[in-house]
Amino acid sequence: MSFEVMVGNKATATAVKLARVQVASAFPVTPQTTITEYLSDMVANGELDAEFVNVEGELSSHVVVQAASRVGARTFVCTSGPGQLYMHHPMHQTSDNRLPVVMATVHRGNKGMMPDHTDLMSQMWTGWIQLYVEHNQEALDTCLMAYKIAEDDRVRLPLAFGYDGYVLSYTAEPVEIPAQEDVDDWLPPYKASPSILPDEVLPEHLGGSWDRGGPQERWQKHHEVIVNAKDVIVEVNESFGKKFGRSYGNGLIEEYRTEGAEAIIVAMGSLAGTARTAIDRLQDDGLKVGLVKLKCFLPFPKEDFQEIGKKVGAIGMIDRNICLGHGGAAYTQIRNAIYDLEDRPSVLEFIAGMGGKEVRVDDIYKVGEKTLKAAKSGGVSTAEVWV
Amino acid sequence: MSTRINRLQIPMEELTINPGSACSGCGAALAARLAFKAIGPNAIRHRIPSCPDATTAHPVATSVLESGGAMLTGTWRGLKAIGRTDVQVVGFFGDGGTYDIGFQSLSAAAERNENIWVIIKDNEAFMNTGNQRSGSTPIFARTSTTPVGSVIKGKQMRKKNIPKIFAAHGIPYLATASVAYPEDLIAKINYGKTVEGFKMLIIQAPCPVGWRYDGAKTIAMARLGVQTGIWPLFEIIDGENFKLNYKPRELKPVTEYLKPQARFRHLTDDNISLIQEDTAKEWETLLKSDELGRVIL
Repeated sequence: MSFEVMVGNKATATAVKLARVQVASAFPVTPQTTITEYLSDMVANGELDAEFVNVEGELSSHVVVQAASRVGARTFVCTSGPGQLYMHHPMHQTSDNRLPVVMATVHRGNKGMMPDHTDLMSQMWTGWIQLYVEHNQEALDTCLMAYKIAEDDRVRLPLAFGYDGYVLSYTAEPVEIPAQEDVDDWLPPYKASPSILPDEVLPEHLGGSWDRGGPQERWQKHHEVIVNAKDVIVEVNESFGKKFGRSYGNGLIEEYRTEGAEAIIVAMGSLAGTARTAIDRLQDDGLKVGLVKLKCFLPFPKEDFQEIGKKVGAIGMIDRNICLGHGGAAYTQIRNAIYDLEDRPSVLEFIAGMGGKEVRVDDIYKVGEKTLKAAKSGGVSTAEVWV
Repeated sequence: MSTRINRLQIPMEELTINPGSACSGCGAALAARLAFKAIGPNAIRHRIPSCPDATTAHPVATSVLESGGAMLTGTWRGLKAIGRTDVQVVGFFGDGGTYDIGFQSLSAAAERNENIWVIIKDNEAFMNTGNQRSGSTPIFARTSTTPVGSVIKGKQMRKKNIPKIFAAHGIPYLATASVAYPEDLIAKINYGKTVEGFKMLIIQAPCPVGWRYDGAKTIAMARLGVQTGIWPLFEIIDGENFKLNYKPRELKPVTEYLKPQARFRHLTDDNISLIQEDTAKEWETLLKSDELGRVIL
């Protein structure tokens, strides 16, 4: 176990090395590009015994790891913004084919270079698990957990974890690096299932088609697998905690100073870090507002929000994303989750940090204030507030 | 270069799925049957959307239409990573997925010289979706998106010269083949199996449904393609060394090939002359290349 002050992209590359990834592929795109450089260095120096495939575009980078995963290699792909959008097409197939590819999305919003969550969030229809990360340590840890979750036989789905460009990718933070032996002990090697090697393939899989059920059944089955992945995510988070001494709430959400809170605000990614300071100030000022960091966006932790909803009068969601014409994605999910509660809390929508717009402690303080007001008085406007 | 074989040396084992999903008289199904006889069972066949759907009983990997080159790369690198480089990585793709939508990823895989086989069955259009034109469709051909109307009659552009484009990539082995010359086709697969790196075999696969001729005449049609010089048989090694495999003393006139296909029924005498001139010109260049032993691009 060692310790280094490193930027987010290096933390991710370090995790890829620790996970003993066998095939990685990526195409340069800001702010992910340096991951490709770290990995290239590691392979060129013999530090990482992997095939790093330089390709001509992100769509190809995705298909390279898709195919490598299918044949039995542990894989990694990373991208940002427009690169994410470019690989949208094969993403559907990777999850439909139940291939446990792990992707790092270094957030870059769809309208510019700076971070917001629209790049990964807009992929929510592709059937992938999505985790959002607050700081560089969590990036490294989540990358390791990603393999254990994705490759679990109850899951066998691809997983993407996102962290904010510039704020994390190019900002140095202290990171504890687990020892290789400990990771080897915790994360077993990957084996493809089903196998497509000619001497291992099952007779019924020859020729390429195997029965995945009727046209609607396939969707239903995929949906069920993703929803049930929550249990595995929770398990893996706990197991990681036991092995490495760090865990992140229950793996789906992380609560901060929610005991006795009358209202809570919810944030994702690096904004959760800023929010912690805002919560401290709010509580110092006698305002009982707590924070829930939403780590697992997909599958959405409905049950966790239902439990929280029973205890507070209002939930204020800070979405660093927007589905244009609809609204923030997590807000919609929370509102849906608590709708059937007997005494349901108000749910407020705050859109913040879009296009990398600076979100200050004071901005989040005000979000907390407003949410608390809604908790006490009820009857608050449901229109989104742009912070 | 490939070494000539005789008919008795063609492997007996059938690896095709029967019944498959091909139309009767499908040139592509025949191309698959022949090519995979030589490839053998120790291969993973790669598929992108294309007809015919089911060809051989190998384990199969599939991906999106534009990704043939990337998919083959991923399998090869994966096999390297898991220590199974004995398994052949073979793509059996159509012209649509290679000349057009898949060109980018294929070109990149060639530039990286991945150790893969790209076997293209060229039926000269996007046949799987109902005969829409591709970059491989010959000039003046009728397709559903280059119809014969009162103003515009068929495709107005020439066929993309894929062999020379990939020769310019300097790939270790490139060859053209025909279902009417099975010994030549198989000899080329046999040779390719000894080559490490990017290998491409382009097999003309006449399509009775799209080209509109009697399905019983597929092999005859393919033979005429070669005998008229429209589908020359050659090999290029390392993008340089060239050999013309079939050199008749005289080429048959192109009309013998064009007339039986209703996709060319509307051709004027001028159209046919143009095709004849193009063919003759290209043939001259191929003969010169053969003499030099070096491809003239």
